[in-house]
Amino acid sequence: MVSGDELNIKMKKNNSTKKEQQFWAYTFLFFPLMLLTIFLFIPILFSFIISFFDWELMAAHQKFAGLNNYVEIFRDKIFYKAMLNTVLYTIGVVPIQTMLALFLAFVMNQKIRGRSFFRTAFYIPAVTSSVVTSIIFVAIYSKEGLLNSLLGNLGIQANDWLTNPKTALISIMMLNIWTTSGYFMVSFLAGLQNIPDSLYEAAKLEGATQRQQFWHITVPMVRPVTYFVVVMSLIGCFQVFDQVFVMSDGGPNNATTTMSYYVYQNGFRYFRLGYGAAAAIVLAGIIMTVTVIQKKYFPPNPY
Amino acid sequence: MVKNTLKYILLASSLALITSCVKDKANTIRFSSWQSNPSEKRLTDSLLHCFVIRYPEYKVKFELIPGNYSEKIQLMLGTHSAPQVFYIKDFVAPSYLRYDVLQPLDEYIDKDTTFDKDDFYPQFLNAFTKNGKIYGLPKDFGCFVLFYNEDMFKATGLSDPPKDWAELEEFSRKLTKDTNGDGKIDQYGIVIEPSIDKLIPFVFQNMGSFQDKDGNLTLNTPEFQGALEYYYGLYKKNIAIIPSEVSMNNTEEVFGRKRAAMVISGGWFVPQLKDQYKDVNYKVAYLPKGKQMATIAFTVSYSSPKENPLKEESWKLLSYLTGKEGMKVWTSTGIAMPTRKSVAAQLDYINHPEYKFFMGSVDFAKIFQVDYNERWYSITQSAMQAIFYEKADIPQKLKQMENDIKSLRIKN
Repeated sequence: MVSGDELNIKMKKNNSTKKEQQFWAYTFLFFPLMLLTIFLFIPILFSFIISFFDWELMAAHQKFAGLNNYVEIFRDKIFYKAMLNTVLYTIGVVPIQTMLALFLAFVMNQKIRGRSFFRTAFYIPAVTSSVVTSIIFVAIYSKEGLLNSLLGNLGIQANDWLTNPKTALISIMMLNIWTTSGYFMVSFLAGLQNIPDSLYEAAKLEGATQRQQFWHITVPMVRPVTYFVVVMSLIGCFQVFDQVFVMSDGGPNNATTTMSYYVYQNGFRYFRLGYGAAAAIVLAGIIMTVTVIQKKYFPPNPY
Repeated sequence: MVKNTLKYILLASSLALITSCVKDKANTIRFSSWQSNPSEKRLTDSLLHCFVIRYPEYKVKFELIPGNYSEKIQLMLGTHSAPQVFYIKDFVAPSYLRYDVLQPLDEYIDKDTTFDKDDFYPQFLNAFTKNGKIYGLPKDFGCFVLFYNEDMFKATGLSDPPKDWAELEEFSRKLTKDTNGDGKIDQYGIVIEPSIDKLIPFVFQNMGSFQDKDGNLTLNTPEFQGALEYYYGLYKKNIAIIPSEVSMNNTEEVFGRKRAAMVISGGWFVPQLKDQYKDVNYKVAYLPKGKQMATIAFTVSYSSPKENPLKEESWKLLSYLTGKEGMKVWTSTGIAMPTRKSVAAQLDYINHPEYKFFMGSVDFAKIFQVDYNERWYSITQSAMQAIFYEKADIPQKLKQMENDIKSLRIKN
């Protein structure tokens, strides 16, 4: 039997531990939260505010512009070009990259010789600085570069990949597929290793081929990972910037101007920070919408 | 115990650091510039050293901005942390002069009897003048001239550089050839690029301009179109090459690596030719004449922010750097040409075999400066790319370009 007093004491003890736990939780959270507030939440709020201004760095007073920036964005031809480029880029990169990553992970999950070597080799592009890989690919794509010399052996005429408006965007897409497939391969590998062997064993007993195992066991079982990968690569594609900045400067003739490059250009090249911020808000809105749609129609776990 | 001691040590040292910063800041002139190449930084260091030796009571701190210069300076001006003396390029000067952020220098110039502002070539001083007030002093200038490879000219039986448009085309045709007999052209007459900066001299040579007298951009004129058709024609006729076609980054590299016999460039190319492309036997000439002689010139100023606790000290540095003594130190290396007549005369650049073409260009050189949002430049760049890479129709592109640019005029 527990007497009332004892119970009280126990409760108090419990309460105090809970309080104490909370105290420590917030103490530990305080520092990262403060960092996030200073470097993320306040800037987001601030860019939202300045998107309603004709914000100029050196002006003494900032002029309120209402919705003018937004109106102007939707009237700008280059904005639509940037949108189109970004969408084309995303449609081109996300599916290929996801499938390639899954395929690579599937192969790397088999017991093949030199497995760790291949894993490392595929992952290296992901840990290499994007500026470095971009500069290497500028050389590869140039008129007298590696790609043209390989194609020349097959009798295909040389093309200046990055200054030809028809191929510039595709060239940057290929680079991005190459760099990020390895990165997402690791996510898939983790997912694959969570699939119980018993499923494959059962399938083998029933006489399923490798291909059948892949489509009927691997693909459905890694669906949550696929969801994660698709969301991450969608966001990444919508924000593609460094490769464009290094390789083509948005050119030739705006053939590679993407949304985030457009934001940068207007904010920091043309010094219209308010306009740039408004474009960034529009971009954020688009990314959010796409993610919500994806979550609604392609949920991570439908079963 | 240990913890407490540590705390005090930390506190004391950070206090010392803060006070030393404050003390240091009190009378040190902060100076910022960009750097086109490592030798420019070395020269700047030694120039500032000359100043400190001359005026030992002053201290200068050189804060180099290696990249995104204009962005950084604008940000510093906007956040009230600009250096006391810094560079401004003529091309972007109008976007600074629009705001009340730079110190007008007239009262200092008038007070300083030794300074002599009439010694400057007027067009360079004008680049930093607005409503009669001077906001920057031109430290030096450069301009486009023609560099040609003398060996290639000799091998083709040419002795003199082209004098006019007809000769430029004729010589380019003669100089374009397959030197190793593999059926591919490996030497072009001239290297050009799809960029408006290189086109503008041709427009001026064609008696045109890209601006009317109120400063509005006028790109859709017969003179502009004529110049563009001639310029693009060199490429279309396959007697000129653009850098990307031979996997190079800029026109200078194409010339330096002997893939083209001529290039349009400025004085900044000379040190590179001497360091990197020693085996190129080059000579300098005026740009070929169209209907008239013309080229464009580039200048850079030293300016000071309006918000500045060290105004007198800043003037001391400014007036030294752009004064007769400082400018002589700076330009005697040949890194750029002097904007003062007296310095040019003293250094005898008017008779120098190379520099005389830069100095001689001053008579007909124009400054490349517009009062438009920087976006106008991207638009023209895109249009040039469309013409070169997509073979866009020239009259139509010009019309469209002029139309797209209209709304970018900066209202004052």
